[in-house]
Amino acid sequence: MAFSKFLDSRREGCKALVKELSKAFSYVSILGSHVVSSRIAADRRSSVMGEGGLSECGFVIKMHNGKAFYEYSLDDISGDKAELAKRILSSLELDRELSDNTIDVKLLSDEPMVQSFSRESDCDKYSDSELLAFCEKMRDEALALDSRILNFFVSIAPFTVSKLFITENRELDQNYSWVNMNAFLVLRDGEKMVQTYDGVYSHLISEVIASFPAIVAPLVERAGKLANAKPIVPGVYDVITDPTISGLIAHEAFGHGVEMDQFVKDRALAKEYVGKYVASPICNMRDGAASALSTASYFFDDDGVLAHDTQIIKDGVLVAGISDLASATQLGTEPTGNGRRESYKRKAYSRMTNTFFEPGKDKLEDMIASVKHGYMLFKTNNGMEDPKNWQIQCTAEYGIEIVDGKLTDNYVSPVVMSGYVPDLLKSISMVSDDFKVIGSGGCGKGYKEWVRVSDGGPALKVKVKLA
Amino acid sequence: MRPDIIEKLLKENTAVCGYKIRSERVESYELFFVHSKLETVRSTDTTSTDVTVYVDHDGKKGDASFKIYASTEEDEAREKIQAAAEKACRIDNEYYELPSNETLDGAIDSDFADYEPKTLARLISDAVFSANTYGNGSINALEVFINKHTVSVKNSRGIDKRELKYSAMVEAIPTWTDGESVELYEAKRFNSFDSDEIREEIEEKMREVRDRGRAVTPSEPLTCKVALDAHELARLFSEAAHNANYSSVYTHSNLFSIGDALQKEAKGDRISITMKGAIKGSVASALFDNDGITLIDTEIVKDGVFTNYYGGNRYAQYLKAPVTGELSCMQVATGSLTDEELKSEPYFRCVSMSGLQVDAYNDYIGGEVRLAYYCDGDKVIPMTGISISGKLSEALSSVRLSDCEICSGRYTGPKIALFEGIAIN
Repeated sequence: MAFSKFLDSRREGCKALVKELSKAFSYVSILGSHVVSSRIAADRRSSVMGEGGLSECGFVIKMHNGKAFYEYSLDDISGDKAELAKRILSSLELDRELSDNTIDVKLLSDEPMVQSFSRESDCDKYSDSELLAFCEKMRDEALALDSRILNFFVSIAPFTVSKLFITENRELDQNYSWVNMNAFLVLRDGEKMVQTYDGVYSHLISEVIASFPAIVAPLVERAGKLANAKPIVPGVYDVITDPTISGLIAHEAFGHGVEMDQFVKDRALAKEYVGKYVASPICNMRDGAASALSTASYFFDDDGVLAHDTQIIKDGVLVAGISDLASATQLGTEPTGNGRRESYKRKAYSRMTNTFFEPGKDKLEDMIASVKHGYMLFKTNNGMEDPKNWQIQCTAEYGIEIVDGKLTDNYVSPVVMSGYVPDLLKSISMVSDDFKVIGSGGCGKGYKEWVRVSDGGPALKVKVKLA
Repeated sequence: MRPDIIEKLLKENTAVCGYKIRSERVESYELFFVHSKLETVRSTDTTSTDVTVYVDHDGKKGDASFKIYASTEEDEAREKIQAAAEKACRIDNEYYELPSNETLDGAIDSDFADYEPKTLARLISDAVFSANTYGNGSINALEVFINKHTVSVKNSRGIDKRELKYSAMVEAIPTWTDGESVELYEAKRFNSFDSDEIREEIEEKMREVRDRGRAVTPSEPLTCKVALDAHELARLFSEAAHNANYSSVYTHSNLFSIGDALQKEAKGDRISITMKGAIKGSVASALFDNDGITLIDTEIVKDGVFTNYYGGNRYAQYLKAPVTGELSCMQVATGSLTDEELKSEPYFRCVSMSGLQVDAYNDYIGGEVRLAYYCDGDKVIPMTGISISGKLSEALSSVRLSDCEICSGRYTGPKIALFEGIAIN
């Protein structure tokens, strides 16, 4: 799918509006966002073909008056630019009692750059009807596998992003696609009901269609196992994490803690630990839109800063955080290309992109063999950050008991992992040599501002409290 | 593009059997503080318009949806309508009728229209910052959102409804620094302005964050009853609400059916839950749902037993059940637990959690506790670094519900509840 014709049609209008608003502000940028998304889904009793939740079309204008930041979101910039600028200024008026109470940070530099970016996509090659037919086929194959399945939900959700970024000196545009395909299963075994899920993802629909069939039978088999899952006996255990749980730890334990808008607000303990050991010396962690090709990979962020690949933890030492333009400006650092918005209607914050632990040298089988009694944890359910106090809560869908170095057939579900972040990260004693980034995630800041993220890594061996 | 033009284009397309246009305009004014200094001022004026096209074929009903933007041209809209009609022909869902012949132009009660948004935002921020009277306390971050929502739903069968509602959201980070620094997260949503109420809530959070700074981790596991506040109770009872929704029932995702006991053997108070369209003070209140259905309050659990399902037009017809509309608010009946009774024996009150985990499928309740108070009738000891976990069924059977009601988000009900059988680790 090509770059948005609509945004192209507004390119000169954006430049004119930047010029108009520059009469009142020392820095003006306009981000135009046009996202085309769809959701095609089928279950036992119904099907869906419609617009996806990510679709949007509009603009956000960011301004700086030499002291503080101002933003205005709107659906279109057409019409008389002087009138529009007047309306924007009027909407952003401050109550008189607050006008002397703003931050006072130096002007942003607006380095010249003109560039277009795009990534290979095959979204145009598949009709929604073809994708629905594939979903229905996968559903039917799954339902045929086990008579205990009450319902099997399959969905495929491609989206294509076009973004245009204009300042006085900068003109950037980017165009890329991503697709997630998910399965969700409900099974009844006697009195016990089980829900479980899995998914595949890629920048190409063809890859998703090729890889999805391989997850169906294992998903059904897992649901059968979960029907017999028991609650875990709370305690501190040796634990091996699968890549989804490793990613969840990376994301919740340290990802949120190094979002540098939290540094500005003194909300992150990590600010005091830059250059210090925060994890085991075999622990390395990265984040960046350019760190991996996944759902949070883009060419420039919503502040017009090019994508980075940031090393966060190097050999156990915290080396850097990730920032948006506003926080970097206040901290006097270079922004790292992590300024992201839920949509053009929302503010940009410092946000994670693709966050993961780097692979190590251990073999997974050796890691499991090293555990006398513990659990291997699988499948992210949810997690919650606490960057100020470094508490962590990560919920895995299930765990499998390890006894005398061997995985048993004893499933536990759900499993809530909690503790103090440095204790957890310093307990990492083995890191597997394989590696996977899971590209179907979403992340909020607090309880809002949802953006697409990926996370992952190798398997980790840790000691942690489970309940 | 205006809804009347969209409607004209929909009527022009002969393949379209029915349609729905839902539009929401949001005008916002937002302030973002870093410590006590204003970092960013935001304003938005955006409209989101979703169009659904329905095509009846072979005794089935198909639908497909798309978005219309302010910038969408008429030719492009025609193409979108035609494409949606073709997709809808491919969808073979069970037949149902669209709702019909109701009009409304209403508003949810709010006093926000009495204020200029910039003034109201400033008054709210003043109320929050005035709550910190401690030398060691601070509000490290504050975000204030004032929103005006204009929602309209129109369909091909005479539904034509509009509602105006206001909402505010405050996200504040009370912080305590005494050697070590600790924080708590506070989010408050409301649609009428009461400076004293905001200040008092933040004052309470300031006391709690002070206590988090003093909190200890018990050296040995505690054995006592666990108390959850309204915020966690809302999360707990929403699990039951999800079960009783028509869409869950139709798709076989519900764990409980009508007649099933939510409480297997009620040793404490019997739970009663009513789903509601509106509750006073809640920003989730609405006059109608996304299909324009008038909302009808529905009791889903009475005395611990599921009595009714609830939900929107389509799934109600599939299940041959009354259409109640998608009800977003929930009222849980208060119980018999008095403050005196609560304090009569030791209990562990969870004040701030990372997120209560409720998994009815696995009969699980638990989560990590950021701040709790261990109350032994004599002393109140703040605690942190603890988890709770237990069987959901046992917790529900033993629950004692406060006799005092409170509104929290979409929930109104007991301000606190006391549970047995939850381990404190």
